[in-house]
Amino acid sequence: MTLRAPRFVRRILAVFTWRTQDRDMDQEMGFHIENMTREYVRAGMSEADAARAARKQFGSVLRHKEAGHDTRSGHLDELVQDVKSGLRQLTGAPMFAVVAAITLALGIGVNAAVFAVVKSALLDALPYTDADRLVRVYGGARAQLQRGPLSAGTISDIRERQRSLASLSAFMDFAIDAVYGGDSGPQVARMAWVEHSFFDTLGVSAARGRVFRREDALSGLIPLTGGAFAPDAPSAVMLTHSGWTRLLGGDEAVLGRDVRVNGIPRHVIGVLPSNYVGPMGAVDFYFAFDLAPVRGNAIVVRGAQWLGGVGRVKPGVAHEVARDEIAAIWTDLVREYPADNRALGLATVPLHESMIGNTRTPLLVLMASAGLVLFITCANLAGALLSRALSRRKEFAVRAALGAGRGRLVRQLLTESIVLAVTGGVAGVVIASVTLDRLGSVAARTLPGYVTLSLDWGVVLVTGAIAIATGLLFGAAPAMSIERSQQSAVRDDSRGTSESRRSLRLRGGLVAGQMALCLSLLVGAGLLARSLWAMTGQSLGFEPDGVLTAAIQLPLRDYPTPQSRALFRTRLEEELRGLPGVTAVATATSIPTAVRQRSGVTLEGAPSGDAPTFVITTAVSDDYFRTLEIPLRQGRTFGAQDLPNTPTRLVISESMARRFWPDGNAIGQRVRLGPNAQAPLNEIVGIVGDVRNDQARPDAEPMAYMSTRQNGAPILTILVRAQGDPLALASPMEGAVANLDRGLALQRVMTMPVVLGEGIAGRRLPVLLMTGFGVLALLLASVGVYAMFASLAAAREREFGIRLALGSSPGAIAALVLRQGASWMAAGLAVGAFGIVLVVRLVSDLLYGVSPFDPITVGASIAILGTCAALALLVPVRRATRVDAAVALRAQ
Amino acid sequence: MPVRDFDLIQGTLDLLVLKCLSSGPNHGYAIASRIHQLSDDALRIEEGSLYPALYRMEEQGLIDSEWRMTENNRKAKFYKLTRKGRAAADAELDSWLRLSKAVTRVLRALEQGA
Repeated sequence: MTLRAPRFVRRILAVFTWRTQDRDMDQEMGFHIENMTREYVRAGMSEADAARAARKQFGSVLRHKEAGHDTRSGHLDELVQDVKSGLRQLTGAPMFAVVAAITLALGIGVNAAVFAVVKSALLDALPYTDADRLVRVYGGARAQLQRGPLSAGTISDIRERQRSLASLSAFMDFAIDAVYGGDSGPQVARMAWVEHSFFDTLGVSAARGRVFRREDALSGLIPLTGGAFAPDAPSAVMLTHSGWTRLLGGDEAVLGRDVRVNGIPRHVIGVLPSNYVGPMGAVDFYFAFDLAPVRGNAIVVRGAQWLGGVGRVKPGVAHEVARDEIAAIWTDLVREYPADNRALGLATVPLHESMIGNTRTPLLVLMASAGLVLFITCANLAGALLSRALSRRKEFAVRAALGAGRGRLVRQLLTESIVLAVTGGVAGVVIASVTLDRLGSVAARTLPGYVTLSLDWGVVLVTGAIAIATGLLFGAAPAMSIERSQQSAVRDDSRGTSESRRSLRLRGGLVAGQMALCLSLLVGAGLLARSLWAMTGQSLGFEPDGVLTAAIQLPLRDYPTPQSRALFRTRLEEELRGLPGVTAVATATSIPTAVRQRSGVTLEGAPSGDAPTFVITTAVSDDYFRTLEIPLRQGRTFGAQDLPNTPTRLVISESMARRFWPDGNAIGQRVRLGPNAQAPLNEIVGIVGDVRNDQARPDAEPMAYMSTRQNGAPILTILVRAQGDPLALASPMEGAVANLDRGLALQRVMTMPVVLGEGIAGRRLPVLLMTGFGVLALLLASVGVYAMFASLAAAREREFGIRLALGSSPGAIAALVLRQGASWMAAGLAVGAFGIVLVVRLVSDLLYGVSPFDPITVGASIAILGTCAALALLVPVRRATRVDAAVALRAQ
Repeated sequence: MPVRDFDLIQGTLDLLVLKCLSSGPNHGYAIASRIHQLSDDALRIEEGSLYPALYRMEEQGLIDSEWRMTENNRKAKFYKLTRKGRAAADAELDSWLRLSKAVTRVLRALEQGA
């Protein structure tokens, strides 16, 4: 028995030996026919009759040969032929090929780019060992259902009582600014605090050196009331990869090196790997802390909520089991410590879910929008190819008559469209990678930190699959059209025949489909844009224009007392007031709209067991309200009479006044802030206008302001109102700070509108992208409608000519085309109504201040789409009315 | 054992070709003539369709081919059975006989019943 290569090898070989095989078959079949002829001649036929009879009896040599090739190569040879023929077709019509490839490249490119982000954010595992076993434990106010922090006591109790976690570690839920004293002057750095076991829980090991051990955890950090912390003293630090490269220039000998952070020397024990991202966002330095002293402090142990918790579920234990166990422990904790825990909630969620946060819905919306664009692209190209296929009817008919099977022709058409799609796909990948590059800086801030904006092999593979699926999808229409009408096409002049009802229906369906998809996308984009409009258009309660902001961090070593910090603040304000163009200067602990601090409010005389209501709190200087133009409604703002050693005074917002004293007698009332029942009472001295702290929320949360005179935090936010361009003040401001203390760095110098823009960047980006997709879709659909009607009108030119010759008016011809167009578009809009319902369901979570079926949005979308489609119709209609009857008829 | 499920015409042609070749190697024309001759021209196939069948069986490893000279000193492609083809011929014949016997029996019974 002869040795045989595996089948697919033989098939591929068969493709390359195609010519030899073809010759062999010719020879073999020729021999057969020759013999038959000879036999017929022997039986008495004439030479010519015998040859004819033999051919008839043998059947089509071409078809038998095709069948032979097919068995040999498993259709592989045809594929090669079809690809070649497809390329020939495309190079034969370069304009069509280029336009089609660009359309496809855009459609596939946006999909590849969005999918790259979706894959990285939603599908890929987090950069931790066995990341799917990690969970995040959240606390926070029960009523607000937000993902808030936990108290040290709660974390310790859960850690001791639970059985389903291998480990549970606490970390400070946010990074704070620090000053890094490098070789080239002070630089701003971000630092975060974690328990020493934190990296072991995450399953992250150091790229250099080691991670924290128990002995690295010093007990310096205790949260004090008002958001201040005791001086930080630990000396061991870990660097993230970005901190290492940015601040230390990627120093190879970094281990054991001494660095100064906040004026205190520390030594580096390890550097984290480059793909590491912490749950608290971008960080340069990590310190280890010890919760034991916090647990020893009766007031803050459960009263202060400031920690994040991350746990590793034991192998073999389901997430649900861990979740339920922790929930049960929490129920016990609420019962055991009602005063502290009654108003609080607790939730355990997979870490991945928690890090995705609220970006899931926008990402899915974007993916769906990109998908719609691709469908429109498909419908568009299907229409274009259908028109081409109709003009190629004769070619196909001839080939069918010569023995090409229908399957073969369909395969050829599909291959041609796939060749086109793959070309578009390759260009699409290029577009996607450029897009991701460009998007990088904008999107990075709005996406979870672990998301990488790059194309990996998975994305490229999926893009390839998308391209081929696309090719099949838009190739299907022309392939379907060649099913019938082949017989007649050879006889008739293809120009003369009217289009079959079936292909007309197909064209109509494609136009209607594009309209429907486009309408859904436009409505979705419109709703998001209206939401953004509502968000940015509505007043925040203060005047952001003309305000420059900056932050400054006072090292506790140099400014250890409230007095020293107050002195610095006063001097800084004086310096800044002296700068040209400055009309008002204020300082505060945080920037308006970005206040994180919330404190429980207890009314004077309320029973001690009462659960507190949480309000936003921040400390501001005397001129804060004047600088931001927040109106005073009642009483007074802060002034020189609010001395550090007098009872703390509060200015509250209108909504807080309404919430606690609906009778309007808020002034003079006294409340307690924070968990400590022994804390001094704060007297309310004034009521100011509401400020919306969360731009994405229509209502203003209750807010209480303290005076920086009485509550001096080491972090200062500077707010300066100036005439003219506030940014011109940036360098004079830096000079003013340097005059006071050369060791200080001015951080995040931005105008207030920019700060606000960044605050909603996460909402702006999806709106921008979806609007972009909408415009793209509109463009594609318009071109599609235009091309379809242009080819339709061209195909009916003779008919129009006859009509005109028989006395029809150009107006009637126009009406004919318009009626057809209008009916298809109406069908598209009707189907689009279903699309709108689906889209609205998808985006409903992202809407703000606009009803889901907002009539203005829907109406405007229909109007825009209708106008564009009508414009696209205009040219073909004009052309149809100008048909010259004589010319059209003579063309036969 | 149930009769193998195959397309009757194609499977029958395969069987005839295999049986023709079991008496020795031969070329396509000879195979076609022999089938005509033995069936008294009752089996009229489009002769060309023999070739795709031959290529398919070659692809399946049932037959082998080589170019040889005929008795009249002309070049022709000769096909011969492989060992696998011989076994297949026997099996196909067996199942064919069983099938035709079964069909005949059913038809007889129906005829008598009616």
